Amino acid sequence: MAVGDPEETNRAAVVRLLSTRYGSLGITTGPALLWIAALLLAPLTFMVVVSFLEVSPISYEIIYEPTLANYEGLFDATPWWDTPFFTALWLSYGIATVTTLLCLTLAFPLAYLLARRGGRTFKIIIFLVLLPFFTMYLVRAYSWVLMFGPGGVINSTLIGVGLTDGPIELFNYGIPAIVVGLTHAYFPYMLLTLYASLDGLDFSLIEAARDLGASRVDVVRDHVVPLTLPGIIGGSLFVFVPSVGAFITPRFLGQGKVQMIGMLIESRVVGTYSIGYASAASMFVLVSIIGAMVVAFRYVTIEDLGGG
Amino acid sequence: MATETGERTEAGETEPDYPGADRLLDHRRVERILRGSLYAVAGLLLAFLWVPLGIMITLSFAQNPVTLFPFEGLTLANYQLALASESMRQSLVGSLTIASVAASIATVLGVLASFALTRYRFKFRELYRTFGIIPMVVPGIILGVALRIYFQSLLDVLPGFTTVVLAHSLYGLPFVILIVTARLYTFDESLEEAARDLGADPITTFRDVTFPVIAPAIGAGFLFAWIRSFEDYIRALFLAGPNTDVLTIWMFSRIKQLDAPELNAVSSLIVFGVAVALAVAMNYGNVTGYVAGTVAEDEEN
Repeated sequence: MAVGDPEETNRAAVVRLLSTRYGSLGITTGPALLWIAALLLAPLTFMVVVSFLEVSPISYEIIYEPTLANYEGLFDATPWWDTPFFTALWLSYGIATVTTLLCLTLAFPLAYLLARRGGRTFKIIIFLVLLPFFTMYLVRAYSWVLMFGPGGVINSTLIGVGLTDGPIELFNYGIPAIVVGLTHAYFPYMLLTLYASLDGLDFSLIEAARDLGASRVDVVRDHVVPLTLPGIIGGSLFVFVPSVGAFITPRFLGQGKVQMIGMLIESRVVGTYSIGYASAASMFVLVSIIGAMVVAFRYVTIEDLGGG
Repeated sequence: MATETGERTEAGETEPDYPGADRLLDHRRVERILRGSLYAVAGLLLAFLWVPLGIMITLSFAQNPVTLFPFEGLTLANYQLALASESMRQSLVGSLTIASVAASIATVLGVLASFALTRYRFKFRELYRTFGIIPMVVPGIILGVALRIYFQSLLDVLPGFTTVVLAHSLYGLPFVILIVTARLYTFDESLEEAARDLGADPITTFRDVTFPVIAPAIGAGFLFAWIRSFEDYIRALFLAGPNTDVLTIWMFSRIKQLDAPELNAVSSLIVFGVAVALAVAMNYGNVTGYVAGTVAEDEEN
């Protein structure tokens, strides 16, 4: 143990720590574990707890006495489903389902083309897809705010060209606009997930099936779809989950006519700090998302979802 | 699932289902029609992705910034207005700072965790991996509200710069883990063994052997975490204090007022910035691989 400079001894200590199994394991897993425990598990657990507690509407103090009042508050109407919460929840599921199916239908041909074509075509298409993907979500939502609306680009162009006399309701703000905005926002997730699974597909298998007399429909149904199922499920989850919790798109493309669950939760927290109500409402979103993931994980692993 | 089968069926209808019939309808013609319709669909989709952005960019140069008709001429005034805005510049600097700090934290944590996941076998490894990825999957509104309630009502921490950075560093973690673990799985560990046999300690081995090889993946992970933080609105909404400058919050309030002149210009500048960065990145590295997760196969080619 020579009297080296302190930096050298520190380094020696780190090296010694790294050469033990528990030391190296602790250094590598520890920091992220701390982050996950303190910033993910603890807040979500606290949210579950708050959903069963009462919160004073005046002082915002939490009263630590278990109650079901928050959950009852979500359904306090006759009939019980006629509450803003329930309406918003079903609307969110409906919009998210339509968006997911739309993304899947649109993305499949393009993903197939990308997987089959290499070189220049591939590079150009992937650049044109990735650019909107990396562009700020808010910017993309805003670009649709300009397109829709009674005086928006679509309607004013149709009127300007003389195809219609007045604004068409379909191109006003509302549910169709929200579906289009969400599809535009999450389409790249679906495309890239599908592409990743189609890219690993052995296309000689398809040629073999064709040579043996299978029709194109047969090939797609019997080979392409089953082999890319992880991509289809992963992509759908990637579109469905954020669509359910969407906030910006319905806020701007609904213009007050449509309330999705994300907007409801936001208004209760930012507006009145009704965190009991917001927590209880969030539980329904969280539980349904966990449910969807549990179902999905029967077919895929979590790495497939991230594309890793 | 049924839908995309339907899509393909439609395309396949031009062709009979039994092999002998290929002689009736010229096989090459069928191929041509199919390929043509595939390209047509692809073209329409790219138009769908691009038309709204294209129109927004056009409007950013237009004197009438809200809509194309009536067209009143071109101008650069919108850009001057946007760049002269003090509040815009402040929030831009705020967002750049938040994204850089948050992505740095996410990168350090994510790289360490990736080493644990790929190099060691330990109890609950799969669970650890799953929880490392969950922050990416939890909807922003839920994570935002949960963290806000947690900070404000349990820990008595007021929303501000630090809370936004903490939330974004958690949000960025999965992107780093996914990209770096994918790279480490294909890393040739005999390189490290060779370095150690030659007398290098773990720190030297990492600095001189491992790091240079996985640096592109770490860079890509940092970039992803950075972009996620920079473009996030919903988490920032709940975790920013009244004096926290965040670009998306600034933009959101402008969209609410439909303040088109400034917004068109700022939004278009963001599209230009992303386009340049992406073009550069695509020339240097395999961006598609990192995004679509096919990096391992591609790098071997």
